[in-house]
Amino acid sequence: MNALQQEIAQLIIDTLNLEDVAVDDIPPDQPLFGEGLGLDSVDALELALALQKRYDIRIASDSKDARQHFTTVASLAAFVQAQQDACKS
Amino acid sequence: MRFRIDQYQAWAPTLDTHEVWEAWAHQPTHLPDNNEQPACDFLPAMQRRRLSRLARMTMHVAWPLCGENEQLPFVFASRHGETPRTFALLSEVADEQPLSPTQFGLSVHNAIAGQWSILRGQHGESVAIAGEADTFEHAMVEVATLLEDGAAAALVVIAEERPPAAYDSWIDDVPFSYALAIKVGKIQEGDNTQTGQHWELRLEPAGEGSAASEWPHALDLVRALHGQSNTLIHTWKTRRWTWQRVR
Repeated sequence: MNALQQEIAQLIIDTLNLEDVAVDDIPPDQPLFGEGLGLDSVDALELALALQKRYDIRIASDSKDARQHFTTVASLAAFVQAQQDACKS
Repeated sequence: MRFRIDQYQAWAPTLDTHEVWEAWAHQPTHLPDNNEQPACDFLPAMQRRRLSRLARMTMHVAWPLCGENEQLPFVFASRHGETPRTFALLSEVADEQPLSPTQFGLSVHNAIAGQWSILRGQHGESVAIAGEADTFEHAMVEVATLLEDGAAAALVVIAEERPPAAYDSWIDDVPFSYALAIKVGKIQEGDNTQTGQHWELRLEPAGEGSAASEWPHALDLVRALHGQSNTLIHTWKTRRWTWQRVR
């Protein structure tokens, strides 16, 4: 797990108030929603808000890619990285 | 109106067993409120994550009063509701920050009643009320109507949370956070085998110069249920409520 993935796993735990869950309990490739960690649609909204605040990025709620980005910690980290790189260039 | 109090369970900071409540009932004191909250570890962590402090207090007191396969009409009463949540949301609005979808979604008075119904698979009647300092008595009126309507028993919870300091000039009737759940049953006249404490609650116009009670009404009843008295008189504005132990 790279540093950004760890940071995002921790953000998920803090934002969604996941008691008794540690960063290591969320492997980067584990599905976050439904089977897997078990998050739901309200969590998705909450998480999108937290990511926007933390990384100063924009997530279009109607984007068909959003579902893809939110699949796992790894896909979220890749998305955040891409957004940040895009802002720098 | 008359009813049976079959079981009850109360919670306040540092008070969560029958024995410590017994001691408090005998000698009530002002408890420091340091944001303690019940663990609610009868629920998996993933189901606890959206329970606020007031919700946890409610689940903690109500949980043991409802049987595994029992359906009980539910009355949730709170005069002030979740003031910490309201204050946090208003602060975000003032700071022009986006609101948390979870917090916003749960910021209605019947949210906790809804969470109870989901977590316990309850699909009967559910009522959430807010009144004045006699909210508790109004909740009992709701319970009485449910019993009158045919329910064999009903569950009532009154829960109050110590509000943020910003509310200090307006809210003076929550000395510390507390919750009380009571399983209330219908009295079958002539049936002497019925258990529980039997009480009568009467409403009359209040006379001049009646003083408000020292403790919140629900905590006063906890004291009475622990045998400290057989009669309680709770006056608020024009209303005088008399609780009388019948048996």
